Amino acid sequence: MKQLVTTAIILSRTDYGEADRILNLLTPEYGKLTLMARGVRRVKSKLAGGIELFSVSEITFIKGRGEVGTLVSTRLIKHYERIVGDLDRTMLGYELIKQLHKVTEDEPEPEYFEVLQDAFEALNDKTVTIQLIRFWFAAQLLRMSGHTPNLQTDDHGEKLAADRLYEFGSDTMSFMYSPDHGRFDATHIKFLRLAFAGNTAIVLAHVQGSERILDDVQPLLQHLTQLAY
Amino acid sequence: MANVLLIEPDAVLARTYMQALQHAGHTVACAHDAQGAISASDETQPDIVVLELQMATHNGIEFLHEFRSYPEWQQIPVLVNTNIPPTTMIAAKAVLARDLGVVQCLYKPRTSLEQLLRVVKQQVNAA
Repeated sequence: MKQLVTTAIILSRTDYGEADRILNLLTPEYGKLTLMARGVRRVKSKLAGGIELFSVSEITFIKGRGEVGTLVSTRLIKHYERIVGDLDRTMLGYELIKQLHKVTEDEPEPEYFEVLQDAFEALNDKTVTIQLIRFWFAAQLLRMSGHTPNLQTDDHGEKLAADRLYEFGSDTMSFMYSPDHGRFDATHIKFLRLAFAGNTAIVLAHVQGSERILDDVQPLLQHLTQLAY
Repeated sequence: MANVLLIEPDAVLARTYMQALQHAGHTVACAHDAQGAISASDETQPDIVVLELQMATHNGIEFLHEFRSYPEWQQIPVLVNTNIPPTTMIAAKAVLARDLGVVQCLYKPRTSLEQLLRVVKQQVNAA
């Protein structure tokens, strides 16, 4: 059978028989793959190079007749070692992998691979806060599942103005002009635009005052996530 | 008495804990890193694991995810005994308990050998 080569990120590993492991992988070309890794149980388990979490590997595999293919070989391309040097970042990494695994179908868009890779890059960069990464990742999942809020016009179809205050309306998924009670100004909306435009978390981290803005927009994103899933 | 797997990267501390646990009647296997701990689990089938989360190369969280991915190790109690201060463990503790089956977290600098032995005994009896 023909051997195929692609880059991949491990999403999960489960036990199979005495010596084998079943791996769920995310790839840019083939979506999610389920592959049998033979003889890698325990002693050469995921802690061994090539099938580590928080890494990108080049894998060679054979597509099976059923759902499960066979992993032939792996070559580690990049391991994000600073993630596992920090317990909070490690825990968030596992959480993000779990979230992505949950929300993606069997054949997700190639962009999900890029988003997970970008998340690893951000987790690996200690100048990017955990709070920002969590926010950014949630925004990407919303964007890719078609739940981007209207960040261009208000609920009456008028262009959002730089000198106005707004509230957010869940019914219309738009901002509403609210001069007395509005919690969101042009800074917040610009930040949300950047996040939902597919920029990386590292780019967002460079926005001046990002920590303060994040405190203000975080509840909105949580609300949008609750509405979406 | 129980088969205890002690995962402790500090060699001096590991020897101290090991002696105390053995003195209390337990059989102890000791590992200094995550990969060694997986191999030791395979060889000794522990009744309880005592784990330091901070380790070189692969940390305790990674060990726990790997450990729990094997069905026969999913019910084994894991006791965290760590140098990480409780104040920075507040959020982590909930996840460790909920997702990774950690039965208790001890702060190493404030945990005497007697306390550690007592908690190990309690958890073994409760399992």
